[in-house]
Amino acid sequence: MKKSLGCKLFGLAVGAIVAMAGCDKSARDGEIVVVYVSEDQVFSEPILKDFEKETGIKVKAVYDTEETKSTGVMNRLIAEKNNPQADVFWANEPIRAEVLKQKGISAVYFSPNAKGIPDVHKDPQGYWTGFSARARVFVVNKKVQNKPTSILAYTSPQWKGKGVIANPRFGTTTVEMAALFTIWGNEKAQAFIASMKQNEVGISTSNGESTDFVASGEFDFSLVDSDDAVSRIRQGKAIEMVFPDQGQNEIGCLIVPNAVLLINGAKHSDNAKKLIDYLLSKATEKKLAFADCAQIPLHTGVETPMEMKSIEDIKVMKIDYGAVARKMEEIQPYLKQWVGY
Amino acid sequence: MIKRIVLITFVAVLALVGLLPLLVMLAQSVIIDGHISFAAYQDLLNSRSEWNLLGNSLILSILTALLTTVVGMPLGILLAKTDLPFRRAFAVLFTVPLLMPPYILAVSWFDVLGREGFLARFWGSSTAAVTSDFLFGLPGCVLVLFSTFLPIVMLLTMTFLKTINPRLEEAGKNFAGWFGVLKGITIPLIRPGIILSSLLVFLLTQGEFGVPLYLRYNVFSVVTFSEFSVSYDYRAATAGALPLVGITLLVLLVERIYLREKTYQVRLASSGYKTIMIRLGSIRNWCVGLVSVLGFLVVVLPFLVLFMQSLSFEAYAQALKLAGSSLLRSLTYAAIGASALSVLGFFLGYLIHNRSLSIWRSVDSLTILLFALPSTIIGIGMILLWNRPTTNFIYATPVIIILGYIAQYSALTSRVTVSTLIQIPPSMEEAAQVVGAGWLRRMGMIVTPLAKRGLLAGWLVGYVFCLRDTGISMLVYPPGHDTFGVRIFTLMANGPADLIAALCVIMIAATILPLGFLALAFQLAPGVNRGTNARRK
Repeated sequence: MKKSLGCKLFGLAVGAIVAMAGCDKSARDGEIVVVYVSEDQVFSEPILKDFEKETGIKVKAVYDTEETKSTGVMNRLIAEKNNPQADVFWANEPIRAEVLKQKGISAVYFSPNAKGIPDVHKDPQGYWTGFSARARVFVVNKKVQNKPTSILAYTSPQWKGKGVIANPRFGTTTVEMAALFTIWGNEKAQAFIASMKQNEVGISTSNGESTDFVASGEFDFSLVDSDDAVSRIRQGKAIEMVFPDQGQNEIGCLIVPNAVLLINGAKHSDNAKKLIDYLLSKATEKKLAFADCAQIPLHTGVETPMEMKSIEDIKVMKIDYGAVARKMEEIQPYLKQWVGY
Repeated sequence: MIKRIVLITFVAVLALVGLLPLLVMLAQSVIIDGHISFAAYQDLLNSRSEWNLLGNSLILSILTALLTTVVGMPLGILLAKTDLPFRRAFAVLFTVPLLMPPYILAVSWFDVLGREGFLARFWGSSTAAVTSDFLFGLPGCVLVLFSTFLPIVMLLTMTFLKTINPRLEEAGKNFAGWFGVLKGITIPLIRPGIILSSLLVFLLTQGEFGVPLYLRYNVFSVVTFSEFSVSYDYRAATAGALPLVGITLLVLLVERIYLREKTYQVRLASSGYKTIMIRLGSIRNWCVGLVSVLGFLVVVLPFLVLFMQSLSFEAYAQALKLAGSSLLRSLTYAAIGASALSVLGFFLGYLIHNRSLSIWRSVDSLTILLFALPSTIIGIGMILLWNRPTTNFIYATPVIIILGYIAQYSALTSRVTVSTLIQIPPSMEEAAQVVGAGWLRRMGMIVTPLAKRGLLAGWLVGYVFCLRDTGISMLVYPPGHDTFGVRIFTLMANGPADLIAALCVIMIAATILPLGFLALAFQLAPGVNRGTNARRK
């Protein structure tokens, strides 16, 4: 009997699904490590490819998107807690690593390569380790004459309606806000945020988008991550980068390191540790410094590109990441009210 | 008996793949430390800001649905029922935006209307400031979502026009001109299709958050998104989806009242009559001009800017190097997903059309509900349900992506099947039954061949939606199995603009080329296009 189209489709669908269910067997049996990554794929993937080449260990990665603001991998890690699929999480800031520590998703690992990294950028109990940092910097449109030098510019009448900032409920902007709360105290920080609103600060969905808005002249300036700034500058966009609050009595510039952690119950824990060691090496920090993200090495003595300052040359905002993580959770209702959703 | 077993099996598949993850999420939202609590729902009811956002969502959805209907219906009539030149090319052109994730279209529009966008080069910065202000906010959201969803109304109008019995129009023509026939006969007859397409646009706009987020217009769908991304709070996020469920059920009720309880005079597939075409005469050139201008403004302009940004060999080489394997995976997953959806949708559509089981209405409602729900809810529900050591062969393999497609998009293929089966006279199946053919034999020999066109149309619709999907696949793809749409989004974070533009152009080509090839095969294959007529002779 001639088979109908429906039968053919049914056969195709069932056959393919069965084949897919078995297709990963060879890979599962081989040398692999599964890593979830919230650092931008354009910067993280080349590092992971190099690790594959140098060790022969196949890296299977899940990357995050700018649009979902890390909803993807963080939610997956939390939802997968009882049957973890990931071995390693490469977070683009340490606050998520703190959240995972609190939820019991990460495991203790002291990498030998972490010895040269300052203690302030590491979890003292070994649940995560920081490396290659971004700085929170201003991007300013080249057409702007007098450039802002302090985050207080957001509340200055001179810059009314000319500043934009990524939604403070997401990503590193939340970290910045929480850091200000820990330094200034609730009252002063709330007054600052309220003044920002009165000063008609624009809210974008991400730092990358803020940078594009400044480059296109929609706004004059924005506080963003240094990798957003450097990548656009290297693409020839009409922006300049300014390190804020570098004066004697000013609070300094927030430094946000990447953080890497071992997942509790990782199926490939030996390979996971090799990957963590690799990410925490001076060689990786140098690669990330010379990539378009121009991240700042935390090991001393690692070469950096011309346009990026070394960590020693930056006046760094003094914060405790654990305290910032706790404050971040505390101020969420306030930020929600401030943003409106 | 076999009929019941087969149909119950497919309903069970839908329940397992689509309903069960929702129930898991629902249970998570009301059980705290082993006790039942409705705190998350109470918080939602007490929050004023959420209800304000719901108002914004409704305004955006109503405006988008109205505009797409007001423009899409006449456009569909022009392209399907008149002698307008290049009408097939126009139909393809207007369909292009539907093939892309709406967020990418919003970025394209920013490149056109932004302060240093395409228009600023010609009209200066003061005009660009005005266009930029227009883009960021409600008008811009309506514009982007209008251009994305216009093809839904246009294509459904075109499809439903083919179902009209031409004898009715011929009768009307004896007493009135074409304007009168359209107004008095044609449009009232296709009203179910138009209302259905408007409701689809309304629901899709309700669930969309990427475009409003980018264009800074706060809507309700961002609540669910924010609860997931900020506090990883499944309870609040699930509770946040409740108003969307309510709106979907309301829409289904509207559909039931206005569409299902009315009978329409449709042309059966075996009738052999052709659609009567309207000769545009002296207004033909005006109509071509009008459609061309609309096509240029709504489709060509943003995509031209996107294409111009991608014009570098290095960008395409880099795009294929970085995303070539993802592209192959996407094409494979979309083909498999579309096939699975076609089969499931066919049997569910048959069940709904023939009301073969008493739960037919619930099945229909469930498919629509799954289609309208935020993908994050379904995605997280799927993780909680399938991520277990015993089901790793599903969760840790691409099967989970296919299940995600089935969960979210089964409404599309079941609805296409229903509209196909309406055109098949029941007498055919009944005749075979009288001479002793069993149900499976009748399905294989009578119903499936007659519904071949609908099955293929359903497959194509399923293919397009699976290929453009990012919501579900982003949440559940196994490590190392990312799809092309997901990879575009992950590379968008700080990826060079020309690379992203090249990826988008490849995405469009990857969707259109297989569709064009299949459409050609569709036209050439004997017994497909002319199947029923040939068989009748």
